[in-house]
Amino acid sequence: MPEDGVQSVVDLFAGLDSVVTEIYQKSKSEVFGLSRQQFDVILQEIARKYLPVDAARNDMRELLTSVRAEELALARACALGHQHAWEVFLTRYREKLYDIAGYITKESSAARELADSIYAELYGTTTRDGQRTSKLASYMGRGSLEGWLRTVMAQEHVNRYRRQRRLVSLDEETEDGIQFASPESEPAVAVDPRVEAATDEVLGALPSEDRFVLASYFLDERTLAEIARTLGVHESTISRKLDKLAKSLRKQILAALGRRGMSRRQAQEALEVDVRDLRVNIRSRLAQETGGPAFSEKKAEAPADGS
Amino acid sequence: MAGIPKIVSQRLHAVERDRIHPDPDLITAFIEKSLAKRERLQFLEHLSRCADCREIVSLSAVPAENAGEALAVVRPGWLSWPVLRWGAAVACVIVVGAAVTLRHKQTLVEEKPAARAQMEAPEIEIAKKVASSVQLADRAAKAAFVTKPAGQPGQAAPTKPAALVAGAIAPPTQSGLRMPAPSGNTFATAAIQPKARAANPGGENYPAATSSAVEMADARSGAVLAEVVPGRAKAASPETQDTKAGKSMGGGALLRKETVEVSAAAASVASDAFNPADVAPRWTLSSDGTLQRSLDSGRTWQTIPVSSKTIFRALAANGLDIWVGGLAGALFHSSDAGQHWTQVRPVANGETLADDIIGVEFTDLLHGKLTTSSAETWITDDAGQTWQKQ
Repeated sequence: MPEDGVQSVVDLFAGLDSVVTEIYQKSKSEVFGLSRQQFDVILQEIARKYLPVDAARNDMRELLTSVRAEELALARACALGHQHAWEVFLTRYREKLYDIAGYITKESSAARELADSIYAELYGTTTRDGQRTSKLASYMGRGSLEGWLRTVMAQEHVNRYRRQRRLVSLDEETEDGIQFASPESEPAVAVDPRVEAATDEVLGALPSEDRFVLASYFLDERTLAEIARTLGVHESTISRKLDKLAKSLRKQILAALGRRGMSRRQAQEALEVDVRDLRVNIRSRLAQETGGPAFSEKKAEAPADGS
Repeated sequence: MAGIPKIVSQRLHAVERDRIHPDPDLITAFIEKSLAKRERLQFLEHLSRCADCREIVSLSAVPAENAGEALAVVRPGWLSWPVLRWGAAVACVIVVGAAVTLRHKQTLVEEKPAARAQMEAPEIEIAKKVASSVQLADRAAKAAFVTKPAGQPGQAAPTKPAALVAGAIAPPTQSGLRMPAPSGNTFATAAIQPKARAANPGGENYPAATSSAVEMADARSGAVLAEVVPGRAKAASPETQDTKAGKSMGGGALLRKETVEVSAAAASVASDAFNPADVAPRWTLSSDGTLQRSLDSGRTWQTIPVSSKTIFRALAANGLDIWVGGLAGALFHSSDAGQHWTQVRPVANGETLADDIIGVEFTDLLHGKLTTSSAETWITDDAGQTWQKQ
């Protein structure tokens, strides 16, 4: 039931009939075998998934007009088993599936296996309650269909890799209603809690994009080019940002430690001491982490060697 | 690159991870820069905490270069974008200066002999001077790649030579130009002077039609309406008709398959600039019916403004050759990967194609088929010069 003063998705949708009609026409749904009613249901599904409860009509209009209508119609028609839609899908994406798999796996036999496996899921070889379930039914048109296929394949690849490390499958998580849960964070190794708190305060105050850049570069060891490509900026922009962050972080942590009652010398020593200790701590933590589950609370058996 | 205190790495690693992860649609939309601002911030917040999703984003991103198909990317250093920008500006100034200087010299060469001739009294001497000035002007014009008929003795000195044609201006060498690093969906060509190409891939010009509107190319956008040429009606001679009928689809049922996108075979790129012969473009139609082209294997796309009045519904591409069709019989063709366009109006037996084109199929450069919303099929065997309706 919609809250007072908050229009339901259906109400908002009803007020955008002309917009939806235009989107329907552009989507070529009729060519792919989708009726207007079916298409409306799909759009409402998208709106429910991505709009907040108190969304305004303009928000919905913006969301719906940003959807890749034609690709959405194609994907959903394929999910429903329309033959012509499948012909078009295969013409456009069959070779791309293998290209994408090749890029992700870097090895031809693994690529073929991954592509074939995804293709089967897209076609819908599994059934639920007597109905064929195709992965394409979950495509929402927020990005291109090719990009979506790329992401799905990347997830499947990561899933397989982790499965080989005896971790719980992503698919099982999805079936249970959780995509994949994060592991419980390891208890912090003994360090001055003021140092941790000061660091957390400084990191928390950073924009999320800056934290993403720091994590990508220093934790994931991604290249400047990769990070720049992800954010859609020039490589030099990332380089300058990292330099600036690296120089300012230490300064800000020292200032935060000062606010916590440490003198400058104490703060510097605490930071340096922690650095030395942490080298040992990180090594031991990494040694522990490689054996533990990454995705789920359902912990798989740890390998006997503890790696 | 300056490092960060280890405590920072540790705390970045130890942040509380979210249990709910974004779905593939949101990941894709983030990679393709189509998330709304609010969603992007939320997504980045999650990414800053989640190594797994960062890994998936990294794997899902379109690679900057693929083996066997690449578009050169600007390397940092002396080829970086600011240098390219200034270099292009300087090149333009030099080219324009050279053209102006050349034209000025030509004018001087002509006017000097003509002025001397007018001061001489005897007519015969005047005639001799005029003849020599004509010869000089003729030589100068040839040097400037302009040809004009030599003047006759006794005639007045010719007026200034015809304006320099585009060929007289030396185009910047393509090797001196670099593509900027791809950012967003922009694609810039700096002062590239494409060769004038005939619309007919066979190399012959279209026959003059009753109306032919010619507009100059905008090389930067790559969108040109070069010539409006109504397709010729099919000749009425029985022999031609029989030949055409014999060459047609063999009387068999036509394929109904709709060609909406064909990716040309990838080719390695030898040079850094956009040379249509070297780049294998990809094409697609957006949901609002605009034509889009990618020169980097689908990583970035640019809208090609073929016609502001048309919504396109179908396309067929064969290497550098591309046909796009849309509402109300709008049909456009380019033989140079979209740098120049020609509008084609299929006419058969006096009837012009006016319905929406929903399917375009070209098996090669010459043989094509259009499908309309009224289930008509229009066929050409000569790259659109003539059509027959089925």
